[in-house]
This record gives sequence, C-alpha cells and structure tokens, in this order.
Amino acid sequence: MEVLVDEKEIKAAGGELLLEGRRGLRIHGWEIESQNRSILNSLQLQQWEEKLQTCHLPEMVFGDSSLVLKHVNSGIRIHFNAFDALVGWKTEALPPVEVPAAAKWKFRSKPFQQVILDYDYTFTTPYCGSQSIEFNTENYSGDTLDEKSHHLQWDDCEQKIDMASLAPREPILFYDEVVLYEDELADNGVSLLTVKVRVMPSSWFLLLRFWLRVDGVLMRLRDTRMHCIFKDRGSPTVLRESCWREATFQAMSAKGYPSDSAAYNDLSIVSHRLPIIMQKTQILKVPDNCKAVTNC
Amino acid sequence: MSDLDRQIEQLKKCEPLKESEVKALCLKAIEILVEESNVQRVDAPVTICGDIHGQFYDMKELFKVGGDCPKTNYLFLGDFVDRGFYSVETFLLLLALKVRYPDRITLIRGNHESRQITQVYGFYDECLRKYGSVNVWRYCTDIFDYLSLSALIENKIFSVHGGLSPAISTLDQIRTIDRKQEVPHDGAMCDLLWSDPEDIVDGWGLSPRGAGFLFGGSVVTSFNHSNNIDYICRAHQLVMEGYKWMFNNQIVTVWSAPNYCYRCGNVAAILELDENLNKQFRVFEAAPQESRGAPSKRPAPDYFL
Repeated sequence: MEVLVDEKEIKAAGGELLLEGRRGLRIHGWEIESQNRSILNSLQLQQWEEKLQTCHLPEMVFGDSSLVLKHVNSGIRIHFNAFDALVGWKTEALPPVEVPAAAKWKFRSKPFQQVILDYDYTFTTPYCGSQSIEFNTENYSGDTLDEKSHHLQWDDCEQKIDMASLAPREPILFYDEVVLYEDELADNGVSLLTVKVRVMPSSWFLLLRFWLRVDGVLMRLRDTRMHCIFKDRGSPTVLRESCWREATFQAMSAKGYPSDSAAYNDLSIVSHRLPIIMQKTQILKVPDNCKAVTNC
Repeated sequence: MSDLDRQIEQLKKCEPLKESEVKALCLKAIEILVEESNVQRVDAPVTICGDIHGQFYDMKELFKVGGDCPKTNYLFLGDFVDRGFYSVETFLLLLALKVRYPDRITLIRGNHESRQITQVYGFYDECLRKYGSVNVWRYCTDIFDYLSLSALIENKIFSVHGGLSPAISTLDQIRTIDRKQEVPHDGAMCDLLWSDPEDIVDGWGLSPRGAGFLFGGSVVTSFNHSNNIDYICRAHQLVMEGYKWMFNNQIVTVWSAPNYCYRCGNVAAILELDENLNKQFRVFEAAPQESRGAPSKRPAPDYFL
C-alpha cells in the first residue's frame, strides 16, 4: 500500500491509521475514511436507474466510492457519495443545454419517428454532502431521541473558513481524492464530481467540486468546502462554504478570455475567471441532546 | 532488419519515433489507406477491437490475449488516441503495423480521429510535449482523413465506430461519401462516427444536446435486413463488462480500454471470429501497475484550497 505520510507524524499528532486495508485515520475523535472503487457494472446501473427513477446515469458512476468523516462521540457523520448527489441532480432537473452543433442540426431533415430526449445530461447537482447522526448506545445515556434529531442542519453564519490557517505549513497526515461520478458528455466536454480531503495535525479540510464544461457553451463550477478545527472537548464546529460559479463561453470571450475549450482544463485558473453566482457560509448545527452526549 | 521492422520493435517498447520517421511512415500509410473503401472488406478469421484511447500498455495486454499481428488478423474500430498517456506510441504502432502488414490489420476512423477533438482531449498536447512542435500531430491528423469509415466482414458483419445514420439505409450510400476531410459536425459521416444505440427509443432519438442521433431496435432490424447482415459490431461507449449485446443480439458494443482513464476498474474485450464467423469474446484486464510507466494511482497530497 502506498502510504505517503510518515506514521510517526500521525502518532505525534495523536492520530492512528485505519487498519485492515482501510484508507484513512482516526484523529481527535474523528474517523476519516475514503474508498475508491470501480464504476458500477451494468446490473448495478440498472438497479440505480430503478431506484432513481431515471433512464439516464453518468457514463462512469463510482457508486461504491465514498468519503466518510465520523465524529465518534457525537455520532455526527458527514459523508459523500454518488447516489445522494444524483438524487440532487434528479431534483434540480435543469433544462438541457444545447451544444453549438445543435444550431446546424435544426436544419437537418428529421428522420421518421424522431423522439427528442429531454433531461439534464450535464448531471448538474446542488449536492453539498450528506450528514446524519449515528447513535452508539454505549455512549448514549439520556432519553430516547426522536427521529427528527437524526437529521443535522446547517445554519447560515457570518463566520468564514479561515483560509490563511490552511496555508502549507502543517504536514498533511492524510490525503485522498475520490471521484463520485464522471461523464464525458459524449465528447462534448466534461461533467465531474469529486471530493478531496486533507487532514493536518490541527484540522481537516475538504473540497467537494462539481465541474462542468459544455464545449463552446458553458462552464459551471460548484464548490463546497468544509473545515473543522480539532478540539478535544465538546461537539465539533464544522464550517461549510458553498461557492457557485458559472459563465457562458460567449461571456468569457467578451471579457477577453480565450473561447477554446482546451484553455479551460486547469481548474485553478478557471475558478478565478468564472464569476460567482452564489456564495454562502454555514455552520453545522449540533442538536442539544447530542451535545449532552459529547460532554458527558 | 528493415527500417520499418526496427521501428515496430522500437514502438513496441513504447518509444516514439523521430519526427522525420513519422513523416515518412505517414506518407507510406496514405498510399495504402487511399485505396481502401469506405466500407472496407475484411476476411475472417478476424479479431475486432474497440476503443484504445492511448492506453499503450493495455493494448500490449490486448495483443497478449489476441496474439501478435500479423499472426492474428485485426480490425480496430477507432478511437486510438486521446485521454490515455501514450496516444503517440499507440497510434504510431498501429499505423506501422498497417504499413508493414496492410492485409492483416484494418484501422477505421473513430470520432477522436479528428483535429478538433484531439485538441481538446489530449493528443495535441501530448504531441507538443513529446516533440516540442505540433508537426507530428499534423502528420497524424492528415492520416485520420484517409482512414476508412467502416468495415464489412465476409459480407455478414457490419463494423463501425459509432452507429447508424438516418441518412444511410444501404452500404452503397456509405460507399459514396467523400471521406477525405475533417469529421463534419453533421451528416452521414458524422453519424457513423458519433451515434449510439438507445434502449428507450424504438426509431430515432435526438440527444438532449440538440446534436447526435440515438437509434433504437427497429432501426437496427431494418438496416440489418436490408443489407443482409447478421449483426452490427461497434465501439464508442464504455461498457464495464467489455462488451454488450443489444436489441436481441442485433448489435454489439466492444470496448477495449481496460481500467479506462486509469481509474474506472472496468474490464475490456475483443471479439474473435473464426473462419466460420463463430464468435468468442476474450475479456482482459489492465496491465499490472509495475509493467507500465504510468504515474502511481494515488494522487500526491496537495495543499488545495
């Protein structure tokens, strides 16, 4: 197994690697684990189509891949998976985007019995992670919690993720990138949902990114960042920042940026050029009954 | 040993040729390809291969499973380049084999064998990186224009990269296309390289992108019937299991890039037909990590923000 970090550093930071072939670590009450698996096979795809009530799924669905961050004492579980993201796609159901060639195709003679398919083939999703509370009865001594408390909420807040504190001065104890789904839009661009995580001695930080480029038409970048500074007592404080950027190729070229798709392969450049259309920061609300658990 | 045999040996080691050698090879290839029909006749036995996408070491696995050319007669259904790390070596090896053994390997055009697509999906950048100029890309893309559009095995199996076109009902209509051009954005030639079979339509479907045809079972039935063929063999779409039959065995997709993009974990397949056209799919996996010069699977930690 390729372990890129020094185990001594993990130990010094009070953490330990997960064993038995699992990828991830335990640190300051968190268990962080990633799984990179193969794409779904034809049978699984069929089952997902039934569950999601759709006939269309991305060409590459990494349905068994995931990133899970579990706060053991509170039972807080933040996780990222393709299924929930595709539920988001189904719900948002944006209208399809026409590619540049479509203009010409309108003048083609129509074949007999033509059906025009109508679904969001870009698989754009508002997904910004899944969260739940899992109770471990051994740790819990209070009253029975009702159903509602199993769902965690995020509240808007003024606080921002402290980006300066994430500058490269701490060692990275754990790092991984998990692709959740990907589609090549039949060679008309790219639709890609990934999540990256890095764990340092003082905090964990992650970036969930939906990236869409429909060649010659439009680019869309929907980023969700989460940051949690470790503390050894009480319930954790997790900040979540969402930033959506979007522009048409036409708008980009009007600003003097290139209009060829090859110029938009480097996302660090893209993210600076695309205008922001939505931005907000939220804080994870930990239910009171859950706080009681973590404090005891 | 002739220059060409030496070049083949070199390419088999994944070492690219010199620019001047590529130029000379391409000139020889044009002489052969220009004589081929848009519906190139192929004799059985033959082994049919789908998309390769520059996955050189996985193509070597393919040859291990299928046998070496010229001992095995091959038909490649296009998409030799883009996405993988070794499009240059992959395409040049196939082209050198074509020049050396023209009757033992047939290469037809995929939608990635195009100037426009290769500028977006990797081949152009790879040529620039490996040669410091785009001359090799130019020589190769000029060759792409000469590649045949389809093949017909023993008059019974029609092979094409993408699929059918509403503008085409007979093979003779394909024969009349003037193929020596960049892949157009619409029309019959475009459809042959781009279209897909689709379960949820029976006749023709238009993609939600507003361009790109989908064709259903009844379209395939009537095409196969009017052209007196047994089935269509095509590539173009990733299939986790390496191959997939549709519409009651009237069309099969063959995919030959295992662990596509070095992360999908899929197997690949080739279709072997014996002299009586009996079929055998040979499924194979990606080359083991240690036998390829590819970067390690795990991403290097990075201080992303």
